[in-house]
Amino acid sequence: MKQRIKQRGGLWLTIIIVVVGLIGVGLTRFNAGFYRQTVAQVTHVTASSRTKTTDEFENKDVDAVQTVTVRILNHKHQGQTYRIKNSYTQSGAMDQAYRRGDQVFVRIPANRHSAVTIQGLKRDTALAFVVWIAFALLLLIMRFSGFMAFLSVALNAALFYAAIQIDLATNGGHVYTLFGILAVIFAALTLWLVLGWGRQMWVTFGATLAGTGLAVVISLTVFAVTHERGVTYESMQYVTQVPRPLFLVETILGSLGAVMDESTDIVASLFQLKTERPDIEPNQIFKSGLQIGHSIMGPLINVLFLIFMADTFAMTLLYLRNGNNWGYTFTMNMSLGMVQSLISGIGIVLAIPVASWLASRLMPGEEVKPS
Amino acid sequence: MSTITVLGLVLFILMTIIGGKTGATAFLSLIFNFGLLFLAVVLISWGFPAMGVSLVIGTIILAFTIFFGEDNELAAKTAYIAALIVMVVLILIIFPVEHWIMAQGFSLEDSEDLEGMSLTIGVSFVGVAVTEAILSTLGAIAEASIAIAAGLSEIIEQHPQVTTKRLYIDGISVGKQIIGTTFNTLFFGFFGGFLALFIWFSGLHYSFGSVINNKIFVAEVIMVLFSLMGVILTVPVTTWVMTVEHRRNQGKLKD
Repeated sequence: MKQRIKQRGGLWLTIIIVVVGLIGVGLTRFNAGFYRQTVAQVTHVTASSRTKTTDEFENKDVDAVQTVTVRILNHKHQGQTYRIKNSYTQSGAMDQAYRRGDQVFVRIPANRHSAVTIQGLKRDTALAFVVWIAFALLLLIMRFSGFMAFLSVALNAALFYAAIQIDLATNGGHVYTLFGILAVIFAALTLWLVLGWGRQMWVTFGATLAGTGLAVVISLTVFAVTHERGVTYESMQYVTQVPRPLFLVETILGSLGAVMDESTDIVASLFQLKTERPDIEPNQIFKSGLQIGHSIMGPLINVLFLIFMADTFAMTLLYLRNGNNWGYTFTMNMSLGMVQSLISGIGIVLAIPVASWLASRLMPGEEVKPS
Repeated sequence: MSTITVLGLVLFILMTIIGGKTGATAFLSLIFNFGLLFLAVVLISWGFPAMGVSLVIGTIILAFTIFFGEDNELAAKTAYIAALIVMVVLILIIFPVEHWIMAQGFSLEDSEDLEGMSLTIGVSFVGVAVTEAILSTLGAIAEASIAIAAGLSEIIEQHPQVTTKRLYIDGISVGKQIIGTTFNTLFFGFFGGFLALFIWFSGLHYSFGSVINNKIFVAEVIMVLFSLMGVILTVPVTTWVMTVEHRRNQGKLKD
C-alpha cells in the first residue's frame, strides 16, 4: 500500500515536472528582455525574386530574395517595425529563408541611412523544446535514475566549463595535466553518481582508467613509430591554441566516456548474473564477461566512429562538390576523426579483459572471502 | 606506413585476440560502416535525396553493426528489430525539428575553412543536417539495444526457465545502469570532440545568449539529445521485443 502511494506520488511529481518544463519552453518566446542583442519577430514575409545560378563546378542553385517585416521586441526600438531584405540560397549553407513567426536577432545601426540587418535566427525556443523532449522521456521511463544520469551530465558540464576557464587563464600551457586530472575526476564522479559508492563502482573505475591509459600509451607509441604521418593537425577546426595537445586531449576525453560505458555494461551484467546465480565460479564470471564484451565492443566503437564522422558530413560534401577528389577530401575532413575512432577503439577493446578480470576477482561472495 | 594504417592494424589484432572471430567480424563491420558513410556523402553529392539515403544507409549500418558484432542469434535479432523501431521513431522527431531549428551548414566560425569554396552547390543543407543527425544516433541505438539484448540473453542462457515478468524487470534494471554511462559516452564523444570550439567561445567571450543560439553549438547539442532520446527509447523497446521473443521460444519448446 505504502509502495503504491509512493509510486503514484512519483508519477505525479514526474508529470508536474514535465508540464512545468513545457511551460518553460513556451516562455522562451517572451525572453527577449534578457538579451543584450536586439530581438525581433517576423510578422510578414514576401518573396521578391529568384535567380538560377551556376558556379564554376557546374553546381546549379537558386539565389532568392525575400522582404521580411519584423517587429522589434526589446530595448530602445521596441515596438517599431522594419522591412528588411534577406537574400538566401536554396541550399542554405550559410543563410536561410525566414518564416512568419520566427524570432531573429537584428542589428539596428545608429546611422539612419544604413540598412537594418538580420544577424541570425533565435534558436533558444526550439533548443529548449528538444531538451524538454529528452528530459521528459528520461523522467517518464527512468524516473529517479534518469534524474541521476542528468545530474551527472550537468555536473560534468560544469567541471568541463571550469577546466576550460583554467586552460584559458594559463594560455593552454598545461593542457595535458589539466585535462588528464579532469578525466580522472570525470570518471570517478560519473560512476559514483550512476552506480553509487561501492565495490561495483570501484571495479568499473579501475577498468576505465586502465583501459584508457593503455590505449593512450599504445597510441603514443604508434605516433612515435610512424612519425604521425597522415595526421593532419592543420585541418582541425576552431583551433585557437596549439592543435596537437588539443587533439590528443579531445581523443582521450572522447574515448573516456565510451570505455566507462563499456566497463559499466560488463560489470553491471556480471553483478546481475551473480544475483541470478549466486553459486557461479569466478572463471565462469570471467568468461561471461568476455562473452558480453564481444557483443558490445563492435557496436560501441561504432558509436564513437559515427559521432566523430557525422560531424564532418557537411564539409566533406562541400569538398566533393568543389571538385576535390575522394582522397584529398578524406584527408582534409575525415582523417582526424578516423584517428580518434581508432584510438578509442583500442581503449574499448582493452577494457574488456580488464573489466571482466577485475569483476571476477572482486565480486562479493563466498569465493572472494579468504577463509 | 601512415599512422591510420598502423592504428587500424593494432585495433584489428587486438580485436581478433580478445574477441576471436566475433572481434574480427566486428572490425570488418567498422570498415563496412566507413564505406557506407562515405557512400552516403557521395550519393548525396550526386543529388540523391538526403532523407532516402539516410533511411537506406541507416538500415544497412544497423544490420552490419549488430549482426557482425554479436554471435548470439537471439540477442542480435532482438537488438536489430528494436533498433529499427527506435530509428523510425527518431526520424519522426528529427525531421521536423531540423526544419524548425535551422542549424544546418556552416557558421561564421567556419569562415576560415570555407575560403575559396563555392557554397552554392545546390544540395539542401537542412537535408544534410537531418542525415548527420540520423546517422550519428545509429551507433548509440545499436550499442544500447545490443547491451540489453546480450545481458538478457545471457540471463536466459544461465536460467532458461526465467519468467517473462522477471526478464522485464531485469531488462529495465540493466537499462537503468547502462543509461547513465551511455549518456556519458555521448556527452564526452560529442563535447570532447568540440573542446577546441568551446575554448574559442570562452576565449572570445561569447555571451551565454550567443552560445545557446549559435548554429554550430545548437547543431551539436541537438545531435547529443537525439542520441539520448534514441538510447532512452531503446531500453523499454528492446526489453519488450526480448520478452516477446522469449515467450515465443518458450512456447516452441513446449510443443
